[in-house]
Amino acid sequence: MSILINKNTKVLVQGITGNIGTTQTKYMLKEGTKIVAGVTPGKGGERVENIPVFDTVEEVVNNFKIDVSVLFVPARVAKDSVIEAIDAGIKVVVLITEHTPVHDVMEMKAYALQKKVILIGPTTPGIITPGECKVGILPANMFSPGTVGIISRSGTLSYEVAANLCAIGIGQSTVVGMGADRVAGTNLVDILKLFNEDKETKVVVIVGEVGGTQEEDAAEYIRTEMSKPVVAYIAGASVPPGKRMGHAGAIIEGGKGSAKSKVEALLTAGVKVANRLYEIPSLVKELVS
Amino acid sequence: MRLHEYEAEEIFSKYGINIPQGGLAKTPKEAKQIASNIGVPVVLKSQVLVGGRGKAGGVKVVDDLNVVERVADEILKLKIKGYKAEGVLVLKKVEIKKEIYLGITIDRTSGIPMIILCSEGGVEIEEVAHRNPEKISKLAINPLQNLYSYQVIDMVKKVGLTGKILVKTVYIVTKLYQVFKDYDGLIAEVNPLVVTKDDEVFCVDAVLQVDDSALFRHPELNKRRLSNMSERDKRLMKKGATFVKLKGNIGLICSGAGLAMATMDMINDYPSLSTANFLETGGGITSELMVDCMELVLKQPGLKAVFINLYGGINPIHEGAKGIANIIKERKLTIPMVAKALGNRQEETWETLEEVEVHVIKESETQKAVKFLAELLGVK
Repeated sequence: MSILINKNTKVLVQGITGNIGTTQTKYMLKEGTKIVAGVTPGKGGERVENIPVFDTVEEVVNNFKIDVSVLFVPARVAKDSVIEAIDAGIKVVVLITEHTPVHDVMEMKAYALQKKVILIGPTTPGIITPGECKVGILPANMFSPGTVGIISRSGTLSYEVAANLCAIGIGQSTVVGMGADRVAGTNLVDILKLFNEDKETKVVVIVGEVGGTQEEDAAEYIRTEMSKPVVAYIAGASVPPGKRMGHAGAIIEGGKGSAKSKVEALLTAGVKVANRLYEIPSLVKELVS
Repeated sequence: MRLHEYEAEEIFSKYGINIPQGGLAKTPKEAKQIASNIGVPVVLKSQVLVGGRGKAGGVKVVDDLNVVERVADEILKLKIKGYKAEGVLVLKKVEIKKEIYLGITIDRTSGIPMIILCSEGGVEIEEVAHRNPEKISKLAINPLQNLYSYQVIDMVKKVGLTGKILVKTVYIVTKLYQVFKDYDGLIAEVNPLVVTKDDEVFCVDAVLQVDDSALFRHPELNKRRLSNMSERDKRLMKKGATFVKLKGNIGLICSGAGLAMATMDMINDYPSLSTANFLETGGGITSELMVDCMELVLKQPGLKAVFINLYGGINPIHEGAKGIANIIKERKLTIPMVAKALGNRQEETWETLEEVEVHVIKESETQKAVKFLAELLGVK
């Protein structure tokens, strides 16, 4: 068991013929991901790593059953491509692309919600169920199979947290990158619900970041409904207020969305909060044993 | 990208939003010319992109046409937080009966635009929201639909407006939302929106911040932004890298914002160490980008060391390592450097870095690399 993806998941790659699309397709195949088709408008009939390429998602779903689409498309066509995947009936869409206009993201998010589609991203490293399936750009050598679920607002931090857990022999059920933009297609709390229902996941680790109120919302869900122990870390406690640090997610405005307000909300919900990244493994270890 | 007030006002005007008469002056003489055209009293406003310009003396009311030139000269010469004004905005002063706050922004968690009105304008909106939440009226907009003016009537009534003023304000709110949407706004704000003694409604201030990621849809704004950037900044922006200058002694390069923040937290834990900058490469590392990053970081005064923390997911870190090695060789750098680099093609990356005597940490814990850095520098 795992969430969102497993060894049977059939994957479509949109933007498969681009540089990043092709490179990452190779890496995903190496991890056992069942990629059945690719789409790039105008490149229909070509093959990438022996995978057939089509012009439209519609053509793909007429020929194959697709569970997940992962997108490596330019930001300016991201909205079009996501809506194309949703209209073709695909229920999980993972948008890796960085720098998508936020107004486009708002439209995609609203449309996905309307069609009951899980949209992960943009600016996400994707999802990995170690040993079974990888959808996205996560470097697989940082992960190993196990029972800890990880949800991270930051891509690179999800790698580090997983690697540090592996170093003490703790593997992961599924690792989900939320996407680091101002607006995320799916929020923390929605992924938390999936982990709560997953039999194999014993402990969940949340890697949050300053900015927004997603961690505060997650804390409320944990307090009222979560039946599994949760460990959390919020990056950016030493970030000076008012500085824009990298992706749009990491902005501190006033007191809202600060590391302090998130930590307080999580502690109140009974979450074990790591003050520093390196405290996560020992906190998790206590809970899995 | 935050626009100047005069630029935002030009856009608002195009949409039929009421702005007091006036214009931008680049010289004191031009300011006087504008003032004599529209008549005194006028408000002279410094056009700088930093907050707190009123307190710094950048906004002045002038009743006498003969002193406009002198006051405009003072404002044009005034530096606010180190920035010189791009010009002085000369606006006809309006007679204030009531001030309202109007803002449109994005609710990050739900991912929808929000219109906010407050019956108290010209003040810090956060304070009012805290003190008198009943004075605030909010409307969430479905991003998939247009906003129709009838939807706005209720929220405008809630801040106490009626009759003609209600209708005029509803028009402005609806048009401002159109600006927000058409210009890929992150924030569109009017503080205050003024109701005058003769029942006109004017925007007396104009804020418009445009999403940088959407500038490809706004070539005229993008052109202006690029004209203010160095060649290196343009290259960094193109690759999606972000550099923020801080005050510290450790140069930092990380391949992700979260990783960079977590690394900063750990370095800043040492009382005698602090990060001199924040630099995240984004997902487009190349050998050349890394040279740009290194040059930026090394330019900072008082550096004790450079700390590099990279993951090879989407990033070809083996290419990044070549850039680091090139600049070390070329400039014969001797500053201590510690690098942790993991992920796809990590072995090649380590080899390249070790050849140029970068201290390479091969474990996954950033903390161990930071500890190594501290020991290398002999600090606790």
